[in-house]
Amino acid sequence: MRCLVIEDEVDTAHYICKGLREAGHTVTPCGNGLDGLHFATSEHWDVIILDRLLPGQVDGLSIIAKLRDLGKKTPVIIVSALTNIDERVSGLRAGADDYLSKPFAFSELLARIEALLRRASPSHDATQLQVADLVLDLRTMRVERGSHPVALQPREFRLLEYLMRHEGQVVTRTMLLEAVWDYRFDPQTNIIDVQISRLRNKIDKGFAATLIHTVRGVGYRLAPGGAALNV
Amino acid sequence: MFRFQTSVAVRLVLGYGLLATASIAVASAIFYLGTIGVLDQNVDDKIVSISKRLIDKFQARPVEDLCREIKLQLSDKIDSDREIFLVLSPSGHRLTGNLSTWPSPATPLDRVVTRDVVREGKAVSARLLMHRLQNAELLIVGRDLSEHITIGRLVWRALAVGITISLLLTVVGALFFRHQIEARIGDIRRTAVEIEAGDLTRRIPISSDDEFGLLSREINHMLDRIEHLMESTRHVSNAIAHDLRTPLGRIRSKLDDAVRHDMTVEILSDAAHDAIEGIDDLILVFEKLLQIAEAESGMRTKLFETVDLNRIALDMVDLYDATAEERQVILKTSLKDAVFAHGDRNLLASAVASLIDNAIKYAGPGATVEVGTLADDHSVSLVVRDNGPGIPQEYLPKVTERFYRLDQSRSQPGNGLGLSIVSAIATLHVGKLILENDTHGLIARIILPPAEASAHSR
Repeated sequence: MRCLVIEDEVDTAHYICKGLREAGHTVTPCGNGLDGLHFATSEHWDVIILDRLLPGQVDGLSIIAKLRDLGKKTPVIIVSALTNIDERVSGLRAGADDYLSKPFAFSELLARIEALLRRASPSHDATQLQVADLVLDLRTMRVERGSHPVALQPREFRLLEYLMRHEGQVVTRTMLLEAVWDYRFDPQTNIIDVQISRLRNKIDKGFAATLIHTVRGVGYRLAPGGAALNV
Repeated sequence: MFRFQTSVAVRLVLGYGLLATASIAVASAIFYLGTIGVLDQNVDDKIVSISKRLIDKFQARPVEDLCREIKLQLSDKIDSDREIFLVLSPSGHRLTGNLSTWPSPATPLDRVVTRDVVREGKAVSARLLMHRLQNAELLIVGRDLSEHITIGRLVWRALAVGITISLLLTVVGALFFRHQIEARIGDIRRTAVEIEAGDLTRRIPISSDDEFGLLSREINHMLDRIEHLMESTRHVSNAIAHDLRTPLGRIRSKLDDAVRHDMTVEILSDAAHDAIEGIDDLILVFEKLLQIAEAESGMRTKLFETVDLNRIALDMVDLYDATAEERQVILKTSLKDAVFAHGDRNLLASAVASLIDNAIKYAGPGATVEVGTLADDHSVSLVVRDNGPGIPQEYLPKVTERFYRLDQSRSQPGNGLGLSIVSAIATLHVGKLILENDTHGLIARIILPPAEASAHSR
């Protein structure tokens, strides 16, 4: 994937670029608003990672606005130290697809980028999701693991659906809270962990290969057992 | 002490003193013109009329008749101390009259003029009218001005005394007024100096309800507020220094321990992960402090929308049901119909989540936690009620302070910011957080103003 990173702070830019390259992406860094605007509008990118406060008379929001004016739907993820709700909403209203507060964990950023890229690709039409021997039927709301039916509550179903749609990717706790409960705040203590462990009991218990893996310090990942983690 | 030119009172009084002096001067001028001026005019009119009468009467008669008439006038004792008559022969000799010197013949004729003359042996200033008669004799009619001048001098003296006294009064008034102001402002200034020296508990003594009293009262209120803010800032910085040093110390010692020993990949990566987790916790604390500061600064967001509080209560119960089950706490709801508020659903949800979190944590296994909504005409509330031990009454006002933790809760994980944030979120929504103990346990209520009944979205 081709990623454009518009970030003026050298350390943060280096941190993001290095991580993205290690994850197998092609990265073009850019340190000021004017060049950022030029790059963003003149070439094709799969995702743009954008700081809001930039040198060079052009700030992050105007880059997005220009991009959207030109009709480009390139996914944009804002990474900013401006974190209060007004700032966040103005960022999203300007046309950003996601908004991440600084400081952030790279794994959170990567997870969100991959979720955005997945959203951009059309896999929503599928009526059935499958990972290894786990099958989830979106029409009948039924789940089977190795041809044994698994009884799930509606919320557990949505949780599993989200994990399966992001098969192989790391999803963070805040992402799960956003996707399944539609709330955006930092979940305290371990509420999401407890929800996952309940789901895990129903999906993985009694099977030799576990599908739901914990990624330490980041979140969870659903994948056929034993797959190596890329973080 | 004060410097004279910088004293407001002195400037004020001097200003008014000048104004008063100017108006006295104007009044004096008017008075002067109205008295001396009118007298002068009267004198001239009289001279002209006497002169005219004599000329008319004796024009066709010999000059001896005129001289006889003038002698008569001078000896009749009427007005004799002021009147002046003189008849001169064509050659310039005195025929009759009471002047021993007279102006030169070059003096303009038929006009009233002022000249110095000698009348009955006294040098005086006089108004004179000279007329040449038919046979070239010169008739001089006039009036002695000595009396006028005396009156004028008296008036001037009176005015001078008056102006001097009023200026003196002005100065005395300035000093008195300054003294008065100094007495009142001095209190304020002394208090300010003491506060500047570091004693923030000082207040201005209030002795009356006049303008200064009102000003002092307002300043005292402001000082109360500042003192409160200073105290909470001091408390927060102490707490930050204290409560953040502990986790930083922990992170440091773990990293230190890891690099001192075997330094296997496993140990190092463990230590790094631990450090990241610890730092993430600290970042979260800072984020929350910022969130509280933002809410407390009173910046109302423009992005509020109508929020269904029942939805939030149900969703948060749904989010916490697994945790409650794990901790053997019964979680249930008790909702009123249609409870809507104007606000931010994520903030309100995080506030409720925080209250549920506390209830589960402190009410303990076997407890029941009820999440509900209430509504009346004036307010709507989100309520989290538990049947745990509650909070000792004397600590209730303190638990919403940043970093405040009860001793018995220090064993539990947490940062002492949870209730501060809930309280700040309530404040941001123009509401408040109320904590009270009832017979069964703790009731936490977030009371909010209701949303307008018309806009029920979401």
